Amino acid sequence: MPTINQALVDEFRAKAEAVNAVVREAADLDAALQYVVETCEAKAPCEMLAEEADAEKGPLGPNGVPTRVKRIVAAPCLDDESYAKLSAACEARGFSCIRSGLRGHLAGIDVGFSVADLGVAASGTCMVNTDSEEGRLAGMIAEINVIALRKSEIYPHLPAIAEKLRARMGDGTPTYTTFITGPSRTADIERVAAVGVHGPLELHIILLEA
Amino acid sequence: MHSAPKNYSEYHKQLDEALEDKFLRNTLDTFAVAYRANRETIFKEVDERGLIAQIADAKDDACRHMEELYAQFKEQAEKRGVHVHRAATAEEANAIIARIARENDVKRVVKSKSMTAEEIQLNPYLEKEGLIVDETDLGEWIIQLRHEGPSHMVMPAIHLSRYQVAEDFTRETGVKQDAEDIQRLVKVARVQLRRKFIAADMGVSGCNFAIAENGAVSTVTNEGNARMVTTLPRVHVAIAGLDKLVPTLDVALTALQVLPRNATAQRLTSYVTLMDGAGECKANPDGRKIMHVVFVDNGRSEIARDPLFSQIFRCVRCGACANVCPVFRLVGGHKMGYIYIGAIGLILTYFFHGHDKAKVLCQNCVGCEACKSVCAGGIDLPRLIREIRSRLTAEEGNPLPMSLLSSVMKNRKLFHRLLKYAAFAQKPFTRGTQFQRHLPAMFLGKHSFKALPAIADKSFRDRWPALSPRVENPRYRVALFGGCAQDFVYPEQLEAAVKVLAAHGVAVDYPEAQTCCGLPLEMMGQRPTSKEVARQNVEAFSAGNYDAVITLCASCASHLKHSYPEILQGDPLIFKAQAFADKVTDFSSFVHDVLGLRPEDFNNTGEKTTYHAACHICRGLGVKEAPRALIADAADYVPCNEEEVCCGFGGTYSMKFPEISARLLEKKLDNIRETGASRVVMDCPGCVMQIRGGAEKQGLGVKVSHIAELLAENMKK
Repeated sequence: MPTINQALVDEFRAKAEAVNAVVREAADLDAALQYVVETCEAKAPCEMLAEEADAEKGPLGPNGVPTRVKRIVAAPCLDDESYAKLSAACEARGFSCIRSGLRGHLAGIDVGFSVADLGVAASGTCMVNTDSEEGRLAGMIAEINVIALRKSEIYPHLPAIAEKLRARMGDGTPTYTTFITGPSRTADIERVAAVGVHGPLELHIILLEA
Repeated sequence: MHSAPKNYSEYHKQLDEALEDKFLRNTLDTFAVAYRANRETIFKEVDERGLIAQIADAKDDACRHMEELYAQFKEQAEKRGVHVHRAATAEEANAIIARIARENDVKRVVKSKSMTAEEIQLNPYLEKEGLIVDETDLGEWIIQLRHEGPSHMVMPAIHLSRYQVAEDFTRETGVKQDAEDIQRLVKVARVQLRRKFIAADMGVSGCNFAIAENGAVSTVTNEGNARMVTTLPRVHVAIAGLDKLVPTLDVALTALQVLPRNATAQRLTSYVTLMDGAGECKANPDGRKIMHVVFVDNGRSEIARDPLFSQIFRCVRCGACANVCPVFRLVGGHKMGYIYIGAIGLILTYFFHGHDKAKVLCQNCVGCEACKSVCAGGIDLPRLIREIRSRLTAEEGNPLPMSLLSSVMKNRKLFHRLLKYAAFAQKPFTRGTQFQRHLPAMFLGKHSFKALPAIADKSFRDRWPALSPRVENPRYRVALFGGCAQDFVYPEQLEAAVKVLAAHGVAVDYPEAQTCCGLPLEMMGQRPTSKEVARQNVEAFSAGNYDAVITLCASCASHLKHSYPEILQGDPLIFKAQAFADKVTDFSSFVHDVLGLRPEDFNNTGEKTTYHAACHICRGLGVKEAPRALIADAADYVPCNEEEVCCGFGGTYSMKFPEISARLLEKKLDNIRETGASRVVMDCPGCVMQIRGGAEKQGLGVKVSHIAELLAENMKK
């Protein structure tokens, strides 16, 4: 059983919430997947920011573009067994669940699910392995990005993860690593804070016991 | 799009325009105050000075090993399928990128933020090649729609109002946009730019760190546009200055603890990406990204070899030097840089964009050192700016008035005779007051915002023989360094200091051969003359074996203490200069820390007294507590809002840029007025000259004095 440092968990939560992340706790991955489905259920259908030929279009969203009729959940990072569970739960609610082909939905999806390699308490940051293009897109084009993070994988600060990162990047195969700290944000108009300029409008982090 | 003033009259006109822009003034004012507070809060969680020192050391080391790091990066990146290029000039970099676009049949380019791309003017080059180029950082996109350059390195559109943005977006989308709803305006970019991401063939990103150990490039953004730019298109080109090379991940991770904190008071930006190698990209038939990294030299190798200017490599482009600059706060980035903005912008303009573009711009530094105190790499920005002025003077030769000034300043007796002559010649204008009241206004012009001081009837050096107190069994033996302003304009300040010192068992000497400290000469780019007066001063004080050299002028003190050992490097006098510099102490610190004066040494009058922290006392010397404690000992100390912000004097700066000096003074006087104090004191005669002149002109009714005068008046006999 990996050890959990509660002080780091508390710090992580405080720092993540300080940058508008929604932080929840769950017993395990299954519980997190349940959260993903519920989150998708609770949200308004996502806006389609661009044309998508085969998609059924609903009424115009707040930004004057059509919304999806069938919601999409993407979870490219899951193993077969977990994906099957998520997919079944989505199907039961009438969502489509995908793990590939995200380029076909660049107009936007509802929820993208990722699992973080580790967290950094000092800034409430999740480090996500985004080597796969599908995994990268899931966190970029979704209106809500849900990231699961094991409590035992929270490190105090950036320098503390150097060795892990080095090991990941050292073997000569290309990698793409993303540190995520809160939702996409900007203050470029009159320094007024606004979220969701390009990426997710919301970031939800599920802290897993195991 | 970008312009640099060619001469002063053009520049003054531009500055006047900026000063009249009320929106800009308000925005930058609010920002300056909020930034200062937020930055302070966010740095409390880390060891700010320790991290800055680590970054400075690591980047200095990277600079020394630039060539090895480049070779290592290239090897590692190529191993991972990346094409690595090196461009000697901006032109060459543009040509390489255009060639990459051609070879890959690119039509549309999306860009995330890159100051280096601005530096080489990539967009116009690619557009001339027939490519469609879209900026995707919201601020960059806005200014692209307006055909402007960025006015800040991190907040490129900070000079624009929501109304201007709404107009631009209305024009771009053909749909009327509501200016009052900023959240919605941001979403206009979300919709419009998503389509551009999807349509693009090539993404161009900047690079915050190029990590040699694994050939990785990294981007740091809040919007996430760099993730899109580096993921969706078939081709990715990262542009990096050679100064972005660092040896290891550890250096990047250390710098990441400071960069966002310093830039926008964030612990970390929303997104940081690290990309080593041409990763997966399903837009290409083979499923691999076509990835190129273009390193830009454009003068950087020359900088790396320069023993002084190599510290420029420590810059992480956080923009903090602009955030705290009082001049930037007044005139904005378009008037305070060519492409790069703020203090570092003045310096980089000289190196990247030619000396003619820098020669006027780099005069617009008041020398308050606010930038130096927050720089993420600990770069001595004010010193580098002074150094550039010296180089420009050396390159261009001195105009006649400067040559005259130089020959006068090298000859102390002549200089002092002229000052004494001025005391006589001004009589018709002063009518016995301390101000030159009756100068015809036509001679003043823009300088009429403050009353100009009169030269004293009798200089301190002429009063000294009669004044010199006899102290039996002294606790300390010190020498006074007077400085021109106190010796010839405000000798009463020195007299007050002598009174306080002598009453507490200090034997005071006033070496007659001392002359101007040389700082004004440095500010005017007169290095050879400034070295000459430095030598004269070091010699003048070397005879007496003093415990300390006391000065009441923070600017002189800071220059004597920190700059003498620098500018006399390699001079036969360097050891004497260092010994001299070590002894230099400001008056407040000596009285408070060394003599240990406490409340019981004063008759506290309860007079409401506020403080102006002179730039060179609080930042130049790092002295913060001593003067405030002393004021509280002798009177009722009331803190002043923005106490440590420059009053706008800056020595010769107030003569060169009176319009800016006047506005800085106005703010200072407003803040002083708000305290309700009847007196304001400070540790610098230059500030006294500025603030007293302004108070007199406005009829503020607040007494302006040197702290020594307050202490002398209220000292127990």
